[in-house]
Order: sequence, then C-alpha cells, then structure tokens
Amino acid sequence: MTKRVAFAQLSSCWGCDQSLVDLHFSLLEVLPQLEILYWPAVVDFKLKDLEGLPDKSVHVGFVEGSCRTENDLHLLKVMREKSKLLVAWGSCSCFGGVQGLGNQWTLSQLTDTKFFKPETVVNPRLPTENVPAFLDKVAPNPQHVPFDIILPGCPPSSKNTFDAVTALLTGAPFDLPQKTVCDQCTRTREEKRIKKFRRTHEGKIDPKKCILDQGYLCLGFATIGFCGAQCPAANAPCKGCFGPPPGVKDHGAKIISALGGIVEMEPEELRAAFPDPIGSFYFVDYAASYLSRITSKEDSKK
Amino acid sequence: MTDGERTIKIEPVTRLEGHGDLTIRLTKTGKVKDVQFNVTSTRFFEKFLEGRFAEEAPILAPRICGICPVPHHLASVKAVEAAWDVTPPPAAVKVRRLHINAKQLSSHGLHFFALAAPDFLAGPFGDPAKRNVAEIIKALPDVGKLALHVMQFGQDLSGSVGGRPVHPVTSVPGGLLSPFSEEKRDAFLKQLDSLKEWTTATVELAKKVIEDYWDPITKLAVVPTYYLGTHKSGNLEIYDGQIRVMDPEGKIVADFKPKDYRKHLGEHIPDHSYATHTFYLPAGYPEGVWRANTLARCNIADRMATPLAQEALEEMRAKLGRPIHATFAYHWARVIEMVQAVEEIEMLLKDPDIVSTDVKLSDVQPKKGNGVGCVEAPRGTLIHHYWTDEKGVITAANLIVATNNNIAGIEKSLLEAAKQIFEKRAHESLKLPEPKIR
Repeated sequence: MTKRVAFAQLSSCWGCDQSLVDLHFSLLEVLPQLEILYWPAVVDFKLKDLEGLPDKSVHVGFVEGSCRTENDLHLLKVMREKSKLLVAWGSCSCFGGVQGLGNQWTLSQLTDTKFFKPETVVNPRLPTENVPAFLDKVAPNPQHVPFDIILPGCPPSSKNTFDAVTALLTGAPFDLPQKTVCDQCTRTREEKRIKKFRRTHEGKIDPKKCILDQGYLCLGFATIGFCGAQCPAANAPCKGCFGPPPGVKDHGAKIISALGGIVEMEPEELRAAFPDPIGSFYFVDYAASYLSRITSKEDSKK
Repeated sequence: MTDGERTIKIEPVTRLEGHGDLTIRLTKTGKVKDVQFNVTSTRFFEKFLEGRFAEEAPILAPRICGICPVPHHLASVKAVEAAWDVTPPPAAVKVRRLHINAKQLSSHGLHFFALAAPDFLAGPFGDPAKRNVAEIIKALPDVGKLALHVMQFGQDLSGSVGGRPVHPVTSVPGGLLSPFSEEKRDAFLKQLDSLKEWTTATVELAKKVIEDYWDPITKLAVVPTYYLGTHKSGNLEIYDGQIRVMDPEGKIVADFKPKDYRKHLGEHIPDHSYATHTFYLPAGYPEGVWRANTLARCNIADRMATPLAQEALEEMRAKLGRPIHATFAYHWARVIEMVQAVEEIEMLLKDPDIVSTDVKLSDVQPKKGNGVGCVEAPRGTLIHHYWTDEKGVITAANLIVATNNNIAGIEKSLLEAAKQIFEKRAHESLKLPEPKIR
C-alpha cells in the first residue's frame, strides 16, 4: 500500500530536503511507495490543496524548519490537523535551529539590523504588504503542536531520513540512539585535563587523537550519536548540530556542567575563552533552552 | 481593491528553493497592474552572526541555504581571511575550487532535472500531479537515472571535500582542517569517464529541449536588464575574481574588486518582500535592476574558462547573441556551466597538488578589521562582509545573497510574462512540442 505523505517547509534552509534528495538511487526504492500530497520544493500542489485535505488523511507529515512568521505557524497547524503521524524533521523543527540564536535579541533589534542598518540599503523600512508578520521569538515546533516523532540533525543525514522513512512505511519501531557522537568517533582518547582552549584556526588538529583532548571545543560528548561522527572524521570539531541525546533537557547546560569536570582552568579563564557561550554551547538549540524561555518571558513583560 | 479588479495568488511558488508567493493584480479591463514576488521569510543571520568568533561564521553561514551551503561556507571563510589579512596555502585554494565546482555540478543538476525539466517534459500545461521529478523517474527512467548520476557525483564529491554533503565544515581561516586524501581522489578519478558520458547526455537532452521549445525561449519573458557576475581575466569564474556589471545594451559599465562592492551595489527594500532588491547603484532603482545567476555570468564573461564549455557558449551566442535577455535561456546557460564545472573538476582531480597535505597555516592571528568574501553561488553573486574586533569576534555583518541579486530581475521577467499571458494570450499561439509525460 502506498503511504500518503506531505513535506512542509517552515523558515529554514531546505537542507533537509537536499539531504532527502541525496538518497539518489535509494529514492527509487522509496518513491514508488509514496503518494506525495504536498512538497513545494518538488511537487506543484499549493497550500490550498493541503488545506483542502480531510483531517488525518496524510499518513506521515514531515515538518522542516521553525516558526519565524505567522505563515509558518499556520502551515504547522495545518500539517498537524492533516497528519496522522507528524515528524519534526531536522534540528530547526526539533529545537528551533540556528535561527533560534536570534532569541538573544528583541524582534525590533533583529529587524533593525536587517532592514535599517546596512549601509547598502537605500530606503530603510520594514516590508508590510503581502508578507506575514514575524513572531517575537523562535520556539521549537513541539512547543506549538504535539509531534509523534523527533528526527534531529542539521540536516539529518540521508541515512537517518531513509531509516526513519522505511520504519514509518513498514510500521517498524523507530527510536533515537542513546549514544553520543564520541561513541561513534574512532579517535584515541585519554583522560581529559584541558588547561587551555584553542580556536580552530590555531595550530593544527592531530587527525588521530580526540579533538577535545587537544583543547579544541568538540561537543561530541554531549551530542546525540546519530550522524556517524561525520565532522570529527573530517578533522573538524563537533558543533552539536544534531542536539543532545534523548533525555537531556538542556543541551548547553549539560555541556557547561560536563566541561566543569574536565577543565583545569579558573572560572575567569574559562569565561574569557568563550565570550559567546550561547553560540558556542547552543548551536541549533538555543530556542529550546531554559535560558531562552526565561528571556522570552522577560521580553514579553516589557 | 476597487470593483472589478482581480488578484491572482500563487501560494506558494513551487519547485523553487526558498519561500515565495506570487501576487498578480489585474485591472477590471484585464490589464496587468503589477506582479509581486513575495519572499515571505527571513531569519536574521546578519544579527546573530554578531558576537561569534569569526572562524565560526563559515560553519553558521551554510545554514542560510541547504541547496548552496558550499558557496556560503567559502564566501564566509574568504571574508574572515580578508578581515584578518590571511592568505591560505595555494593547495587549499585548489581544494576549495574543487569543492565549489562539485557543488556547482550538483546544484545545476538538481535545478535542471528536478526543478526545471518537469515543465519541459510534462509540458507547461501538464497535470500538476505529473509535473515533478518523481514522475520523471517513473515515466522516463533513462532521464531519471541520468539526473540521479549527475546529482550524486556532485554531492558525493562535495561531501568528500567538505566533510558532509550539506553544511560543510572543512574550510577555516588559513586553509583547510583536512586535506583531500589520495584514496578519495582515486575513487572520483575512476568515475571521470562516466561523468563525462553523463554530461554529454545531459547536453544532448538540453539541446533537444531547446530545439523543442525554441518558440517560448525566444518569445516569452524576454526582458532587458543589467547583468552581474564574476570573471577572471575575462573567463567565467566562480571562486575568485573581479565583479562585472553589464548594461542592457551589452556594455561593461563596471569592473571592480569585491571589496569595493558598496560603490556599485544598492539594496532597495520593496514593501512586499523580505528579500531586498539589489541593483546597480549609479543607475538607480528600478532602472539599474540587474540579474545574476547562470545567464548573467554567461553574458558578462568574455569566454568560458574551459574548451568544451567555450564551444557550447559560442553555440548559444551564435543563436541568441550577446547579451541574451531571454529568461528561458537561463536553462541553456546552466548546462554550459555544468560542462565547465565538469572540465574544472577533471583538471583539479588530475592536479597533484589536490592531495597536498600543506593545506593549513599553523599561525593565524585574528585582528580588528573588515573583509569581503565573494564567490558565485549557483544562483548568483554572493557577498559576505564582516567587521571583527581585536579578538576576531564579529561586530557586524552584511550579507548580499545570490537571490537578492536576482529577485528584482525575476519580478521584472514575471511582469513581462504576465502581460504576455493575460493581455496578449501569447501562450495560445506558442509552438510547443508533444509532452513526454502525460
């Protein structure tokens, strides 16, 4: 039996779509089993076609991106109504994504920088005609509507999406791994005693040894082992773009507390090493953090 | 809206990467009043790049676009290097050139086969349910397989260089975190002959499409605009060169270093789009509206950088002249650029330096300054401009992404097409071939 599926893109980079298309010849296995009811990147159905479907008539709905505008929120709610199973597809959908870093500022500070400040702009103003209003803050999609499945990744690898889609098509269980990126990394580790942090342009990373042991901030220890440790394999530190393993509520807090146990530095030194703790420790999931929620509440009181 | 006026809304525009609606307004007599391309979202990267270590920007910036993350990665790292006065080792530059050409190939493959081809194969009046790449794969398996081969080669190569196919991580200020291994190089060298066969087949398919659709290509949405693109000594270039502006008559009116972009480029903010419209500043807006992307590059360049691509360009110019204003010729130019990407990939894979391990400086000093990084993304000229403090933390960023350089031109061509269709019913008299998919 073919499964009726829909793919919706909220504010995002469409990297999850690219990653799905990157299945290439494996698509030939999957596509014949799918009846695509909505997928603007690929198929010509319009929003009204999706809105016109009976409730719960989509077997599996995939939601990429996060809600930055009122249109995004509307599309998300339509997807929830129409889908039996709703999948938060990618880290933007699960945790808010990199655009969640914008939650450090008020909306007017964001629009000021984009539309009023650049010296190349000749007529500063905020567009208002036939464009949706922005939401004040980015929140993870599961805070807006309930989801059935979370599939993190920035983007999820082709294999991640293939495995999830195959499980959903066959009705097999689909669970996220409890492992971390470190469990998937092949580098040699020693007992960690970090005395100084180095930035990626400093020195050269030894391709055999644990990147964190060498003093580069590699977040593999606090990040879900779902990507196959692809960045450490390319001699690049893990940025935590797949988010935390299941059960960890606040990724950045987890990272900071874990660093406390392995770093031999004075708190002032550590603070100086990371002038940007939010960007460093919450790459794709600041919007999901307690800190962001507290700040959002304070901003909305103002 | 006054009585009798009509608004046609296309929501969303499909087979497009990004978020856009189309609003066409008609007067009560059926004349086209205006056409708006409404870009309906933006995510404020300019703001949240502030306060980050600049070497992190090349990791953040790819998240602007998952279809063209490599150009963002490279424009970003070049901007940081320019701000810090850093010159990466020559071998690292060669690997980056391989990286951007691999992405050019996969993105152009995706665009030609998945985004554009359904219109040509199912026909512009085909059933929306049939007009997509999934149906092409089912109905025309040979074309589908060709598409998958071309896209896969590009994405696999791009992923091999960048650490992952989407959102690469290997370029840092001062070079690359990891060299391109001999083992990987050899694996791609082995596929070169097949790649060249697929490319030839793609060119043949494109020629057939062009022949079949000659009428709409030469008659529909032919719009004179300025053109923007990068060249190196006149050759079409995507990694590192001078920026050229050509006027609608075909005269080169500006030829400048990317760092001087502010003298030549203005951003107009329309009331109806979150994507700004960039334009040639001395000509003003809307007179100075330009287009970027494949055809614009083929217009501004004197010649292609490689021999087979040059033959293909000469063929297009012999038929359509220079500059070419026919919007549908973008597809032709796309295939010409695919040929150049393949030829450059071959040249780079065969260059012994491509597997050099001398790809990163060990001593890079952050400093206060500002730098511009510019590359050609598949969809046009891409500029990242960062200001950094003494520690190398970003204090401000200005991003001119490829789509901004094209969107006013897109709107202009849509207005022309809408007038032809709604006022002159031009589509009814066009000569069209029999659809290949029904």
